[in-house]
Amino acid sequence: MSVSKAKKPMTLESILPKIVLAPTTAVMLVCMYGFMIWTGALSFTKSRMLPQWDFVGFDQYAKLFSNPRWDVALNNLVVFGVLFIAVSLLLGLFLAILLDQKIRLEGTLRTIYLYPMAVSFVVTGTAWKWILNPGLGLEKLVRDLGFENFEFRWLVEQDMAIYTIVIAAVWQSSGFVMAMFLAGLRGVDDSLIKAAEIDGASKMKAYWYVILPILRPVFFSAIVILSHIAIKSFDLVQALTGGGPGYASDLPANFMYTYAFNRAQMGVGASSAMIMLMGVLAIIVPYLYSELRGGKNGR
Amino acid sequence: MGSLLIDNVTKSFGETNILKGINIDIQDGEFLILVGPSGCGKSTLMNIIAGLEDATSGTLELAGKDVTLASPKDRDIAMVFQSYALYPTMNVARNISFGLEMRKVPKEERDRIVDEVAKLLQIDHLLDRKPSQLSGGQRQRVAMGRALARSPRVFLFDEPLSNLDAKLRVEMRTEIKKLHKRLGTTIVYVTHDQIEAMTLADRIAVMKDGIVQQLGTPDEIYNNPANMFVAGFMGSPPMNFIEVEVEDGQAIVESAGETHPLKLPCAEAIAAKGLNRVVLGIRPEMITEPKPAPEDQDWLHSMSLDFDVVEPMGADTMAIGQWNGVDIHSRLSPKAGMTAGKGTEIQVNTAKAVAFDIQTGERIC
Amino acid sequence: MVANRSFNIGRLFIYACLAAFALFYLAPLYVMLTTSFKDIEEIRSGNLLALPQDPTLYAWIKAWSSACTGSECQGLAPFFMNSVKIVVPAVIISTVIGALNGYVLSKWRFRGSDLMFGMLLFGCFIPFQVILLPMARLLAELGLANTVTGLVLVHVIYGVAFTTLFFRNFYVSVPTELVKAAQLDGASFFQIFRHIFLPVSLPIFTVTIIWQFTQIWNDFLFGVVYSGPGTQPITVALNNLVNTSMGGKEYNVDMAAAVIAALPTLLVYIFAGKYFVRGLTAGAVKG
Ligand SMILES: Nc1ncnc2c1ncn2[C@@H]1O[C@H](COP(=O)(O)OP(=O)(O)OP(=O)(O)O)[C@@H](O)[C@H]1O
Ligand SMILES: [Mg+2]
Repeated sequence: MSVSKAKKPMTLESILPKIVLAPTTAVMLVCMYGFMIWTGALSFTKSRMLPQWDFVGFDQYAKLFSNPRWDVALNNLVVFGVLFIAVSLLLGLFLAILLDQKIRLEGTLRTIYLYPMAVSFVVTGTAWKWILNPGLGLEKLVRDLGFENFEFRWLVEQDMAIYTIVIAAVWQSSGFVMAMFLAGLRGVDDSLIKAAEIDGASKMKAYWYVILPILRPVFFSAIVILSHIAIKSFDLVQALTGGGPGYASDLPANFMYTYAFNRAQMGVGASSAMIMLMGVLAIIVPYLYSELRGGKNGR
Repeated sequence: MGSLLIDNVTKSFGETNILKGINIDIQDGEFLILVGPSGCGKSTLMNIIAGLEDATSGTLELAGKDVTLASPKDRDIAMVFQSYALYPTMNVARNISFGLEMRKVPKEERDRIVDEVAKLLQIDHLLDRKPSQLSGGQRQRVAMGRALARSPRVFLFDEPLSNLDAKLRVEMRTEIKKLHKRLGTTIVYVTHDQIEAMTLADRIAVMKDGIVQQLGTPDEIYNNPANMFVAGFMGSPPMNFIEVEVEDGQAIVESAGETHPLKLPCAEAIAAKGLNRVVLGIRPEMITEPKPAPEDQDWLHSMSLDFDVVEPMGADTMAIGQWNGVDIHSRLSPKAGMTAGKGTEIQVNTAKAVAFDIQTGERIC
Repeated sequence: MVANRSFNIGRLFIYACLAAFALFYLAPLYVMLTTSFKDIEEIRSGNLLALPQDPTLYAWIKAWSSACTGSECQGLAPFFMNSVKIVVPAVIISTVIGALNGYVLSKWRFRGSDLMFGMLLFGCFIPFQVILLPMARLLAELGLANTVTGLVLVHVIYGVAFTTLFFRNFYVSVPTELVKAAQLDGASFFQIFRHIFLPVSLPIFTVTIIWQFTQIWNDFLFGVVYSGPGTQPITVALNNLVNTSMGGKEYNVDMAAAVIAALPTLLVYIFAGKYFVRGLTAGAVKG
């Protein structure tokens, strides 16, 4: 090969695509990845009110993990995460299967199940705060029905407040899980169920052995999305319990916000944010990896 | 003014070399057809000619001007795609005139050209429709109309008819041929269809693995293939290949249990190379029922052949037997009324038989 | 017919379940609405599910124009306007940028553009807590702390990842031959976008705009961190309103305020639910 490649003259037209993409690329590098690194660096300093760059190694992390409030927040995340994901999945799947039985008014019902997704977590929190209100809400309703001694005060009980968050979050997100499963079910060939029924399986068994395995990717996606929502949950807690009573229903995001912005403890705030990032990475990286690889094989 | 010179063009995507030095000199007004197996780089070459992709090396001259680095819109080349690529949101008229619009041709002029092209292609009643409201054949016409409207110097057709059904394909083939006669514009045309290639082309370039195996008229390609690949690629059913011993300038074949020496047209060349085994290449139409031949009787051989399968195809009948243990196809006249069976009397004409080097596959003569 | 009866009982069970859950999902909306039309006396004496005896607009008027959100008592009206001022430019800018980015990333790929897309995709997932502190710092440096402009900027920056993803995935399905044909027809980069891509983009614009609108209108985190008194979006104001207890809790006002805050996105959902759901699936499953 003796012929060398002639360089194409650089015209405006030929570099337009790069020019168009450049601002986003620059901003993304700075405001996503740069900031991530900045926060990471900050978590190794003793910054409080203002960033200062005296590196103190893992001191802030040590402080963080010896902080009982962080401990509570992490515990809450586990409780909240597991319940929220499990209940939303079961409920969403249940509703999707029911809706898949050639239901009249399916469109209306879908609209009803899904509308909470359009509402902000702050509104959801406000509404449930009123419904679960110990004096005048659900408790009074049941008492008025004649159960004089009925008690329902989760909202103000240390041990139970986190469950009210589960209720409100499930109310808001399960419809979405329903929509995902329904879309999945619609993709499944109808004749599969018929074939299974002809083979002598009951409808239940047909779903259990034939359909659910096919829906595995949907489970996978739903779990990833729900855990992502769980880790980032912030507004709902803020609106529903304010993290209270005390800090009994704090989640990591609320902890981070409180320490970074209300208590002027930047170092601790930054280290808690980094832990949250690690949590998300642990879920997202394998997911993205399999998605991208799957996509390549699929196409 | 549409001569096109492709000079030592190569193309690699990353590490893989797709085109490995293509040289084709296309005359003004010529109809050149590119054929070759899937993935051999035909579309890539078309894209390079159009300027949609840059060649890795080599040059491209259009009407004597170097256009290697010119952008597509400065080349004045139009292309018809296999998928037609009609703009889905524009109606037929706008699809045809879009290129003129982009080149700032005034409105009245555009309307006039659209009209003219539409009449020519008989799509004037479809001008207001969207592509989605057209049949496959109509889309094909619109795609051609779009290319015609600009009166470009060169037309590129990348498998333009392969999405049509067989009947339409034949119709459109004839129309394209007429169009070329009428306009006289240079055409480079990719196809998988041999009949298309044989009937349309002034010259055919047979490609394989990014290399032009042979460039020649349909007749040359068919009768004087450069190698076994070209010989096997053109013709349906393809040329029969039989490995044979050569003795005294004659190929020895074994048929129905007897051996027959066949006279070869190129005994000297084989002898000059000192070969005693070659691949004999003989087209199916050279193996027929016994019939009087006006040619030199020297090339005619009679023998009997065991037909395993006989397939009537209407105009002629294909029959399959064996020589040297290898399947060979023969093309018989249906009138001969042949059926499968042993010891059928046939006639072999070796006047156009060819021989290939066993090692390289190149034709010896 | 036995088979038919068991069939009917099964169907009945299905419909009963579906109806029960419909009630569960509707209950909070019902409670919000009924409570907002009651006066405080009736709230104390009556129960959660009762219809208002004597509907009044008192709570709505107060929530809109005079309820206290912290130290100020101007109702939600000014904050509703703040949200509008944040949402409109942020949605428009992020959508336009996303459309152009998506166009390049799908049809004008170059060395490194796939990497860039991968990094952007990944950015959709990061918890915003990691960027809160430095972003606050940057806004302060730019003099945009506690301003509407600052919030617009933040929403654009972190929204572009999604809008780009939406458009890219949509434009990938537009045949590349169209771009080639248009190039041969002499159309330039922007002409191809304008004449070939824009006309087919209505659905994806709808999906993206609705998605962005819902996301930004409902945002609380950026709002609470980067706004100051007077520039707070409605979600923050609602939260303040609910948590300001001057002179006794007025649940009816809280509920009216909550409905006001939810109304725009609810209306969008009701009138363009199909596109909303499409956005949800596109935004969630793939990003
Ligand atoms: N952008 C690209 N990047 C990498 N490889 C490519 C690219 N475009 C084409 N190729 C490869 O180049 C080779 C030639 O492709 P091309 O489309 O030119 O084949 P073709 O001869 O037109 O085949 P067909 O008859 O199927 O249309 C193929 O192996 C293809 O995979
Ligand atoms: Mg091709």
